[in-house]
Amino acid sequence: MALEKTSTTTPACWWVDLPETDYPEALDLQLAVVNAKTGGRLEADVVLSVEHPRVFTLGRRGGRENLCVTDDFLAQKGVSVVPTDRGGNITYHGPGQLVVYPIIDLNRRRLKVVDFVSGLEQAMIRTAGHWGIDAGTDPANRGVWLDGDKLGSIGITVRRGVSFHGLALNVNTDMAPFGWINPCGLDQVNMTSFERRLSRPVPMAEARQHMAAHLAAVFGIALTTVSPEQLYAVI
Amino acid sequence: MKAINELNLPEDARYTDDHEWAKKNGDVVRMGISDYAQDQLGDIVFVELPEVGSSFDKGEEFGTVESVKAVSELYMPIGGEVTAINEALADAPELVNSAPYDGGWMMEIKASDPAELEALKSKADYLELLKG
Repeated sequence: MALEKTSTTTPACWWVDLPETDYPEALDLQLAVVNAKTGGRLEADVVLSVEHPRVFTLGRRGGRENLCVTDDFLAQKGVSVVPTDRGGNITYHGPGQLVVYPIIDLNRRRLKVVDFVSGLEQAMIRTAGHWGIDAGTDPANRGVWLDGDKLGSIGITVRRGVSFHGLALNVNTDMAPFGWINPCGLDQVNMTSFERRLSRPVPMAEARQHMAAHLAAVFGIALTTVSPEQLYAVI
Repeated sequence: MKAINELNLPEDARYTDDHEWAKKNGDVVRMGISDYAQDQLGDIVFVELPEVGSSFDKGEEFGTVESVKAVSELYMPIGGEVTAINEALADAPELVNSAPYDGGWMMEIKASDPAELEALKSKADYLELLKG
């Protein structure tokens, strides 16, 4: 759709690599960035790149019914279940999974929600392609798929035109906890990962670099790497 | 995706910067989201609306729509009390896509300040916003 903006200014977009961060702490950081943006205190868009310790998260409409194990079992394994306000159903995050939270002013960049979600899928597909993994989309179900198995998931929220939450790509994820849920509320869906396909792990730092480059290319955005400390200083 | 000149923007509705529409309907104001909004959200799978009787200020979040793995917040075009919600959307959220101003309306509001409706954008002003 032809909705090009004639503005001459190109808003900055920061790429921030976080250390492994607990899910609730990363969500607080996302919300702080969203508030800074909707409150007019932060001009730049921000893309957070992170791995979480083991956690299940629910979508706005829930998904606890797709949890197939008891609370006792989860407590024993040290895995919590966190309700969120994002789109989509239950999912799992854990070490070895590349999680990316693009906090983008979609209105300013004239990005439609449907195109934004498709772009996130494309960035995951291209990142997989770097390792010769031929992933694709499924017209019936969002996310990124590999021979009928799910490789990457998407769930976002849009507040005052600003996106948050984002994508989760299974690079070297321990896949066992996916067996404790019906991922995304889909029955009989198997999850897969780069490691499972290649029979070897992939360096996470490399996966992050490729993801950053592909996101930039897909959305036509120049990314500037900024440290977490620099981000904390302005929100 | 629709081009701007393909968008259905009724002359008799008013529009907000957040892409809601509002229109007088007897004693109340009926509202929903614009053709542009439904088009850019994609297929809507769920509409979350407040209870009848709840009150909100202009611009306050009152609910959400979920489309393609995306939850988007909805904001009040004017302040007031919700007098009716479109119950049909519970089973047929796709009405927001197919008929955003008719079968896909969302709520009826008893305006706390009738001047707020008049202050919203006309079709011409809303088109300017969309053109950037």
